[in-house]
Amino acid sequence: MIKLNNIIATYTTERGQVNAVDGLNLEFPSGKTIGIAGESGCGKSTLLKVVYGDLIYPLSLTSGNVEYGFTGDFGTEVTTKDIKDHWFKRISYIPQASMSSLNPVLRIRRQFVDFQGVDQDKEQILAEVREYVKSLDLPPEAIDAYPHQLSGGMRQRIMVAMGTFFKPDIILADEPTTALDVVVQKSILMLLMDIQEQMGNTILFVSHDMGVHYQLTHKMLIMYAAKAVEFGDSEAVFGEPLHPYTKMLTDSLPTIGDDHIREGVSGRPPSLWDDLVGCRFAARCPLATEICRQQEPELVEHKPGHFSACHHADQV
Amino acid sequence: MGLIQYISSRVGAYLIVLFVGITITFFLPRLMPSDPIEGYIAQMQNQAGQSMNPETIRELRASLRKLYGLEGTLIEQYVDYLERIILRFDFGPSLASYPRPVSEFIFNSLPWTLGLLGTSLVISWVIGNLIGLVAGFYHNSRWATFLETLGVILYPIPYYILALVLILLFAYIWPIFPLSTTIMPGDFSWEKINSIIYNSFLPALTLVLAGFGWNILGMKALSFANKEEGYVTFARLKGTPSRTIMFGYVFRNSILPQITALALSIGGIFNGALLTEILFSYPGLGLLMRTAIGSGDFNLLYGTIIMSIVSVATAALIIDLIYPLLDPRIRYR
Repeated sequence: MIKLNNIIATYTTERGQVNAVDGLNLEFPSGKTIGIAGESGCGKSTLLKVVYGDLIYPLSLTSGNVEYGFTGDFGTEVTTKDIKDHWFKRISYIPQASMSSLNPVLRIRRQFVDFQGVDQDKEQILAEVREYVKSLDLPPEAIDAYPHQLSGGMRQRIMVAMGTFFKPDIILADEPTTALDVVVQKSILMLLMDIQEQMGNTILFVSHDMGVHYQLTHKMLIMYAAKAVEFGDSEAVFGEPLHPYTKMLTDSLPTIGDDHIREGVSGRPPSLWDDLVGCRFAARCPLATEICRQQEPELVEHKPGHFSACHHADQV
Repeated sequence: MGLIQYISSRVGAYLIVLFVGITITFFLPRLMPSDPIEGYIAQMQNQAGQSMNPETIRELRASLRKLYGLEGTLIEQYVDYLERIILRFDFGPSLASYPRPVSEFIFNSLPWTLGLLGTSLVISWVIGNLIGLVAGFYHNSRWATFLETLGVILYPIPYYILALVLILLFAYIWPIFPLSTTIMPGDFSWEKINSIIYNSFLPALTLVLAGFGWNILGMKALSFANKEEGYVTFARLKGTPSRTIMFGYVFRNSILPQITALALSIGGIFNGALLTEILFSYPGLGLLMRTAIGSGDFNLLYGTIIMSIVSVATAALIIDLIYPLLDPRIRYR
C-alpha cells in the first residue's frame, strides 16, 4: 500500500511559489493499476514526481510524505527521504517520450547496465536482459542496437523492459503511449497489463485518454486544480461518478452507435496563482451553489471505497 | 553501407578541394598585370648599372621562362604544372637560393609547423572541452562561472596580441623563455628534444590560450543544453552515477558538434600559426612563407601555399573520418 500523507508540492519560480499538488491524503492499494486523470496542469505529473522522490529544484515538498509499504535494507519503512536508493529496483519509471529517453550514441545494452548499483557481473545481467527482452516479444539482438535503429514501438518496449526488469514493487508510467499510433499503443498497454498480472506490481498510470483508463485501471484518481476530486474503483468512478467534473469527463467519451455531438467541459480551470476560495470547480460546475463558492469540500468517503470532494455528491 | 558512402564522399570532397586549391595557385599569379621575368630582368639591369645587349636579354628571358615553367601556352603550362606537382611533388627550384629545390625547404620546415600546430591544437581542444564540460554540467557552481569567464576573456584576443604580451612577460620582463627560437642542428637526442620543447613552449602556449577560450564557450553551451535532454533526465531517474551521466551521456553527445567545429577551425588556426611563427622566429612554414615574400621567391611562395592547403585539407579529412567512430547514426544508417 502506498500512503500519501498530506502532500503539498511546491514549484518555486521567479514569480513566487505555487502549489501544484495541494494537500493530498490517499491510500493506493498494492498490486493494482491506479489511473490518474485530469486536464493539463492539474498536478498529475507533479504527483508522479513526488511519489518517485524526484524532488529537485524548482520542485520541493512543502509538507507531507509518502510511505511506500515496503522496508529498506535496515528494516525501516521506506519514505520519501530514502526512496532514491530504491530507484529502478523497487520503484521504476516509464517516461512519455521513448524517442528522446534513450542516449543516441550508446548501445541499448550499455544503457541497461548503468543503473545505480549495477557494477558486478554485467555479462550475467545482460544474459538475463536478453532472456527478459525475448519474453516481451522483442528480438534479443535489439539490445545490441543503437536507439535510432529501432522503431518507436520497439523503443517503447525497451523502455517497458527497463522499467520492469528488476521486478519493482511500484511502476510509474507518465503517459507511456502518447507518442505512438493506436495499434502500437494497444500492444504496449497489453504488455503492461500482462506484466502486472505476472509480477503483481502497483502501477500508477497517468494519461489524458479516458478510454485507456477505462480499459486498464482498477482504481481511478481524478485531479482538478492541484486537488484530488474523486477516487474509487474504476467501475464505480466511470459508472456512477460522485463528482460533476468526473461526470463531464466521462460524458465526453464516445460510445459505438451513438452519433450525438459530444460536449466538452466548457470553461477553464482556475489559475493556481489566485487566492482560491471554496470549491475550485465551482465556476464551471452546473450544480454549484453558494456553499460551493465559500467552503472548500473535503475528500470524503461517500460509498465504501469511493471518495469524492463535492458538497452535492448525492445529486451528480 | 552508409559508412562506405560517407567515407567516399569525404575523400571525394578532399580531392576536389586539393585540385581546386592547386589550380587557383596556378592561375592567380598569372592574372597579375606584372610579369615576374620582365621585373627580374629590369632589376638585373638596374643592379648592373648598364643595359645589356638584346641578344643576352633574349637568351636570359628564354632560360628564365624555362626555369619558371612559363614556356608554351597557358594550357600546356597548366598540364605541365599539374604533372610536376601531383606526380613528382616538384615545385621547381628556389629562386632566391638557386638551385636548391623548393621541396627541400618545405620538408625541412613542415615538421616544425605540424609539431607545433598539432600539439597545441590537441591540447587546447582537449583542455577547452573538458573545462567547458565541467562548466556546463555544474553550471550552478561558482567554479563553473569562473571557468566560463576565463573563456569569455580569452577567446576574443587575437593571436598576435597574445603572442606579444607573452613575449613581453616571459621573455623580456621575466626571461624564463627565449626571445626567439634557436635550435642546435644535430641528431635526435634527449637534449635536442628538451631544447625543442623549451623553445616551442611560448608559441605553443599562445596557440593554446588563444584557441581554448572558444572551446570552453562552445562546449559549455552544448553541455548545458544537453543536460536538459530527455535521455539525461531519464538516466538521472535511473540512478545512473553522475560521472557516467557526465561522460557517457552529456559529453558523448556534446562532443559531436565540437569535432565539426575543430575541423572548421583548423584553417583559422593555421593563419594564426603563421603569425605566431613570424613573431617567435619559429622555423616553420609561416616563417618560410614570409622569407619567400620578402625575397620575391615565387616558387617557394607557391610551394608553401600549396603545402598549407594540403595540410589543412588533410587535417580536416582526418577529423571527418574520426567522426563516425563517435556517432553511430553515421555508421549504421
